[in-house]
Amino acid sequence: MKLKKTLFVALGLAFAAGAAHAQLKVGITVSATGPAASLGIPERNTVELMPKEIAGQKVTYVVLDDASDTTSAVKNIRKLVSEDKVDVVLGSTTSPNSLGMIDVAAESQTPMIAWAASSRIVEPVDEKRRWVFKTPQNDSHMSTAIVSHMTSNNVKNVAFIGFADAYGEGWYEQFKSVAEARGIKIVANERFTRTDTSVTGQVLKMMAAKPDAMFIAGSGTPAALPQKTLKERGWSGKVYQTHGVANNDFLRVCGADCEGTLLPAGPVLVAEQLPDNNPVKASAMTYIKAYEAAHGKGSVSTFGAHAWDSGVMLQAAVPAALKKAQPGTAEFRAALRDALENMKEVPGAHGVFTMGPNDHLGLDQRARVMVQIQKGAWKLVQ
Amino acid sequence: MDFQIALILGQDGITNGAIYALLALALVLVFAVTRVIFIPQGEFVAYGALTLAMIGNGVFPATAWLLLGAGVAVAALDGLGALRAGQARKLPSVFAVNIGYPLAVLALLRLLPLTELGLAVQILLTMLVVVPLGPMMYRIVFQPIAEATVLVLLIVSVASHVAMVGLGLLFFGAEGYRTPPLSDASFEVGPLTVSGQTIWVIAASVVLIVALALFFGRTIYGKALRATAINRNGARLMGIPPALAGKLTFLLAALIGVLSGVLISPITTIYYDSGFLIGLKGFVAAIIGGLASYPLAAFGAVLVGLLESFSSFWASAYKEVLVFTLIIPVLVWRSLTSHHVEEEE
Amino acid sequence: MKPALSPRLVMAAFVALLAVAPLVLSAFYVTLLNYIGLYAMVALGLVLLTGVGGLTSFGQAAFVGLGAYTTALLTTSAELPGWLAWAGGSPWLALLVGLVLTVVVAFLIGKLTLRLSGHYLPLATIAWGLSLYFLFGTMGFLGGHTGLTGIPPISLFGYELRQGEEVYYLVWLFVLAGVLTTSNLLDSREGRAIRALKGGMVMAEAMGVDTARSRMVIFILAALLACASGWLYAHMQRFVNPTPFGLHIGIEYLFMAVVGGAAHVWGALVGAGVITVLKQWLQDLLPKLFGTSGNFEVIFFGVLMVLVLHKARGGLWPILVSGFKRFIPVAAQRRAVDRDALALPRRELPAAGSLLLEAKAVTRRFGGLLANNNMSLEVRAGEILALIGPNGAGKSTMFNQVSGVDTPTSGEVRFLGESVVGKGSRAIARMGMSRTFQHVRLLPTMSVLENVAIGAHMRGTSGVLSAAWRMDRAEEARLLAEAARQIERVGLGEHMFDEAGSLALGQQRILEIARALASDPCLLLLDEPAAGLRYKEKEALGDLLRKLRGEGMGVLLVEHDMDFVMGLVDRVVVMEFGEKIAEGLPEDVQRDPAVLAAYLGGED
Repeated sequence: MKLKKTLFVALGLAFAAGAAHAQLKVGITVSATGPAASLGIPERNTVELMPKEIAGQKVTYVVLDDASDTTSAVKNIRKLVSEDKVDVVLGSTTSPNSLGMIDVAAESQTPMIAWAASSRIVEPVDEKRRWVFKTPQNDSHMSTAIVSHMTSNNVKNVAFIGFADAYGEGWYEQFKSVAEARGIKIVANERFTRTDTSVTGQVLKMMAAKPDAMFIAGSGTPAALPQKTLKERGWSGKVYQTHGVANNDFLRVCGADCEGTLLPAGPVLVAEQLPDNNPVKASAMTYIKAYEAAHGKGSVSTFGAHAWDSGVMLQAAVPAALKKAQPGTAEFRAALRDALENMKEVPGAHGVFTMGPNDHLGLDQRARVMVQIQKGAWKLVQ
Repeated sequence: MDFQIALILGQDGITNGAIYALLALALVLVFAVTRVIFIPQGEFVAYGALTLAMIGNGVFPATAWLLLGAGVAVAALDGLGALRAGQARKLPSVFAVNIGYPLAVLALLRLLPLTELGLAVQILLTMLVVVPLGPMMYRIVFQPIAEATVLVLLIVSVASHVAMVGLGLLFFGAEGYRTPPLSDASFEVGPLTVSGQTIWVIAASVVLIVALALFFGRTIYGKALRATAINRNGARLMGIPPALAGKLTFLLAALIGVLSGVLISPITTIYYDSGFLIGLKGFVAAIIGGLASYPLAAFGAVLVGLLESFSSFWASAYKEVLVFTLIIPVLVWRSLTSHHVEEEE
Repeated sequence: MKPALSPRLVMAAFVALLAVAPLVLSAFYVTLLNYIGLYAMVALGLVLLTGVGGLTSFGQAAFVGLGAYTTALLTTSAELPGWLAWAGGSPWLALLVGLVLTVVVAFLIGKLTLRLSGHYLPLATIAWGLSLYFLFGTMGFLGGHTGLTGIPPISLFGYELRQGEEVYYLVWLFVLAGVLTTSNLLDSREGRAIRALKGGMVMAEAMGVDTARSRMVIFILAALLACASGWLYAHMQRFVNPTPFGLHIGIEYLFMAVVGGAAHVWGALVGAGVITVLKQWLQDLLPKLFGTSGNFEVIFFGVLMVLVLHKARGGLWPILVSGFKRFIPVAAQRRAVDRDALALPRRELPAAGSLLLEAKAVTRRFGGLLANNNMSLEVRAGEILALIGPNGAGKSTMFNQVSGVDTPTSGEVRFLGESVVGKGSRAIARMGMSRTFQHVRLLPTMSVLENVAIGAHMRGTSGVLSAAWRMDRAEEARLLAEAARQIERVGLGEHMFDEAGSLALGQQRILEIARALASDPCLLLLDEPAAGLRYKEKEALGDLLRKLRGEGMGVLLVEHDMDFVMGLVDRVVVMEFGEKIAEGLPEDVQRDPAVLAAYLGGED
C-alpha cells in the first residue's frame, strides 16, 4: 500500500508538472449531500455550465462534495491546493464550511470565491481574507430590503422564526440589527430544524405575540412548514420569507398557503420581469437559459446563480492575471487575486460586481429586488 | 400559556407521538425477532411518502429500480444457494419470484396512467414497490450474519441506513414533498380543530398496537416468532425457520414504515433524509418500552411527542436539548424498575 | 520455516514507517494521516469502552467537541473572566483545562447514566451526545451554529505548527501515547477487571472487583482521548462549529472501531485509516466512473461497509494479523511468569474447628415461590460440608444467599461472626469467602493465567495510572506468580497460556477453583465442581480438597455426584423443596429414609 501511494504521488507530480502550463485549474467543494444539499445540488449542476475556456486557456474543474460538513470542506480544500494544485477555489455552500476554509486558502495563497452568505467570510478584509471573495449578497443587504418594505407598509412588530443552524442564526443577527435601527420590534424569536415534522409550538408562540408580520428565515421547501402551520392556525397577515426559498419546489410544496408571501431576492429570480434597461437583466437571462436548457424549464434556483457568478468573475479576472503569469504558479494565483480585487462593474446573474481592497463582495442595491408570490409565481414588486 | 394553547400542543404532541409509536412498534418487532436495531426503519417512512408523491405527480418512482436491483441480488444469492445445495430445479421459482415480481411492478408503473388513479390505488402501488424491499433487505444484508453480536448487527444496520439515505437523495432530490390527505374532513371539538388526517394517524396506530400485542401475546405463531429471538434452534424445532421469521418481520416493519410515511406526508413535508430523526424518536420510545413491550413503547412515543411539542413552545432553540435531557430520568426510572441481573449476551 | 520476528521489532518498524511517512508522502496524504490520527484516538476510546468494556457509546463526538470548544474559546476570546484569565492564549493550558473539564463532565454524566442497564445505556449516550451538540450551537459565546474562527496554531518551544507535516508528529505522538497507555492498562490488574466487564460482571464482583468503578474508569479514559483529539482538531482546523460533533459523527466513530476490530487496540487505527482512505478513494474514483452529476459516494460506502462486516464480523484487524503472519511469522507475545517474585502476603486462617459460616433460618421467596424455607447450616474451618439434594431443591438459591449474589427474604447469614445479609458479593469476597459457579463464568478469550489472576485482584493495590505507565510491574509479577502457583496446584500447569475457552468443561471448572484460591480465601464455596470430570480428575480434585482442608480451609460443596461426595466430605446437608430434610455424617445420611425417598422418588 505504501508503495502504491508513493507511486500514485509520483505519478501525480509528473502529471501536475506536465500539465501546469496547459490549463487553468479550478477546485470546487460543494455541499451536494447532507443538510445543505438543496442548495448544493443546483450549484454543482451549474458548475457543468461554467466556461470551458477562458482567454484561450482550457479550464478544468475538480469538483468535490463536502456533505455539508466542515471537516470535509477543509479536507477538500487541502486536497485541492496540495494535490490538485488548483489556481482558484470555489465554494463551499454553507457559511461554516466557507469560514473553515479561509485559513487554508490564505496559507496556500490561493484565491477563494465562497458561495455562502455570512458577511464574516469577507469582513474585515485582513491578512487572511485578502484571499477570499464571495458572490452571495450579505444577509444585511437582504435585510435592508425587507425592513424598508416593512417600514413603508406600517409594520411595527415582527415575529421571527429561523432554521436552528448557521442560516437562521445569520439572518436573525443581521435582521435584528437593521430592524431595530429602524424602530421595528422583534416580538418573538423562534427556531426550527429542517426535518421537523411540526412547528405548532413555535407558531402558537409567534401568534400569541400578536405581531404585524411574520418573518420566516429558512431555505428551500422546509421553509414552507411554518407558513402552512400559520395558515392552519388562522394567520392572515403578512408573511416575509428570505431568498433561500427562491426555487420552484417551494412553490410546489407551499401551494396556495404561500399566496402573497414577500421576499427579497437576487434579480435572477424575476429576470424576465426586469425592465430592459436593468444592467443585470441580460446577464441573468444568460444563466437562466443555460440552466434551463440543461435541466428543464422552471428548474433554475438562485443558489445555482451564486455559483454561476463566480464563473463570471473568473471570466472577468483571468485574462488580466494571464498577462502577468502562467496558471499553476504562485505568481498567477497572486495576480488572479489582484485581478479579482480590481474587478469593476462586472454584471452577473445576481448583480453588478465592483470589488475593492476593502470590499470583497462588490454588490450594491442592484443586487436585490423585492418579490411577491402571486398566483403561484414570483412577481417583481415595483 | 393558556388552556387552549395547551390543548393544541397536546393534540400536536399526540399526533406526532402516534407516528413515533408506529415506528417504535416496528423497531420492537424487528429487535424481538432478529436482534437487529433497525436504523433504516425511518428510510421506509421517507421512501413510502416520496414514492407516493412521485406516483401522485405522474413521475415513474425510481424506487422501482431499487426493487429490481434488490430482486436480482436476492435471486443471485438464493440461486447460488440452491445450486450449491444441488437443487437446480428450484431456480425457476427463485427467479420468477425475485425478478418476475419487480418486472411486473415496473410494467404496471409504466402502463398505468399514474395521475388518474385514485389515492387508494396510488397507495397500493407504493406499497407494492416499497414494502418488498424490507424482506429483500433482510435476505441480502442481515440473513448472512444472523448469528452476529448485537453490536455488529447495529453497525451493519447503520451502514445500510447510510446507503439508503444516499439512494434517497439520488432518487428524490434534496427538496421535500407532500401528498394529498386521506380525508379532508375536519371536526370542531371544543376549542380544537381536529383534521380527518389526524384521526387516521391515531386510529391506525392504536389498531396496529392492539393487533400486534394480541398477535405476539396470544397466538401460537406470534409466540413462536418471539421464541426465534431467544433461541434460534428452538424456534426451528417449533417449525419456524429463522430466515423466514426474519423476512416476515422485515416485511411487517417495512409495511409499518410505508404506512407511517403515507399517513404523515399530508401533515408535514417529507425529505429524503427525514427518516432518521423520526426513526430516532421512535427508537427512544422503543427503548422506553425496553425493546419488548408494545404498550410501554406506545406510551413512550406519546411522551416523546408531547415533550417535543411543549418544549418547542417554551424554548424552541433548545427543543432537542430539552427532549433528550428529559429522556434521561425516564431511562433511569425504566432501568431501575426493569430489574434484571446484568449478564452475558 | 522462517525465523519469527519479535513483536517489538514489528512495532519499531511501524513507528519508523510513521516517522518517514511525511518525507515520502505528498502533503495531502500527510493531512489525511493527521485526520486518521485524530479519528483513531476517538476510536481507541471506543475500543476500550465498547469493544473491551461492552458499553456502546454514540456520544463520543460530543467529548471531541468539548475539547475543541474549550481550546477555541480560551485561545480566541479577548476577555476571559478574571478567574480564567490565566488559561487564556496558550493552547497547552487550554488542553489542560479541557482535560480537567472533560473529567468533570464525564464523571457527572457517568454517575447519572453508567448505572443504566442493557439498551438504556446506548440510548442515554445518544441523549447526552445530542444535548451537548445542540448546546454548542445555541450558546452565543461559542459562536453559535456559525462557529468560532481565528484559532491559533499550536506552538512548541516557540515554533508554530502550521503545516500538515508540522502537526503530523504531534498528532501521532498523541496517538502512540494513547495506544501505549491503553494496551499497558489492559495488560494489568485493572485491565483484567475492565476486560471482565463484558460478560463477566457477576464473576468479577465475586472476585472483589468494583465493576462500577471500572466502568467509570473506561468512560473517563475514552472521554479524555476524545477531548485530546478535539484539541488537536481545533488547532489543525483553526475553526470550530457544531457540525463535526453531532450524532452522525458519533456513529461514524463507532463505525471505525467496529470495522477495524472493536476488541483490539490496533483495530482503532485500522478502522480510522480504512474508513478515511476509502472515502477519499471513492471521492476520486466514482466521478470518473459515473460522472459528477450524482453523488454515489455514500451509497458505495454503505454497501462496502455491509460487505466488509459480512466477511469480517470481528473487524479487519484479526484478518490483517493472520494475513501478515502468513508471510512474516511474528512470535506470539507470551507473558513470562517470574517464579522468583515475592510471594503475596497471606491471610491468617482461623483455627481449625472455629465457626466460619453460619446460616440461620434463611428464607427466600420469588413472588409466590418459596425457593428456600427456614434453611440453616454451618461450616467450620478445616471441614468440608456438602449440600446435596435433587434437581430444583433450591441448592443454588441457597448458595446465592450465602455468597451475597442474592439477599434472603428473611433469616440471617453470618460469616466470621459478622452478618453479611445485603452486603454484596464484593464485600463478602474481601472478607475471605470465594466461590465457583455452577455455569462456568470465565472470560473465554483470555488466557488461563489471566483468568486466574482476576481471582487475585483484591490482593493488589496498584491503580489505573500506575498500570498505564507501567509502574505496577513488581506487583503485577507477584500477582501472576500467585496465579501460576494456583494453576499448577490444581493441575492445569500445561494449559497456563491457552485460551480459557479452549479448555474442556471439566478443566474450566478446575480453573474456577484455581481462580477462587488465588483470592486467598478461608472459605471456599464450590458449585458442582466435579461435573464433567473424568475419574482420574475427580480423584485429583478430591486430593486437592483434602489438602486444603488439612491447611485449615473450610469448604462448602454443592454436588450431585454421590460417590465423590461420600468419600470426601465431613458432613452433609440434604435439601428438598427448599427445605433441609437431613443433616449429618455421610454414612448416616445415606441411610436416612427421607433422603432415600427424595432421591429415588424425585431424581429422574
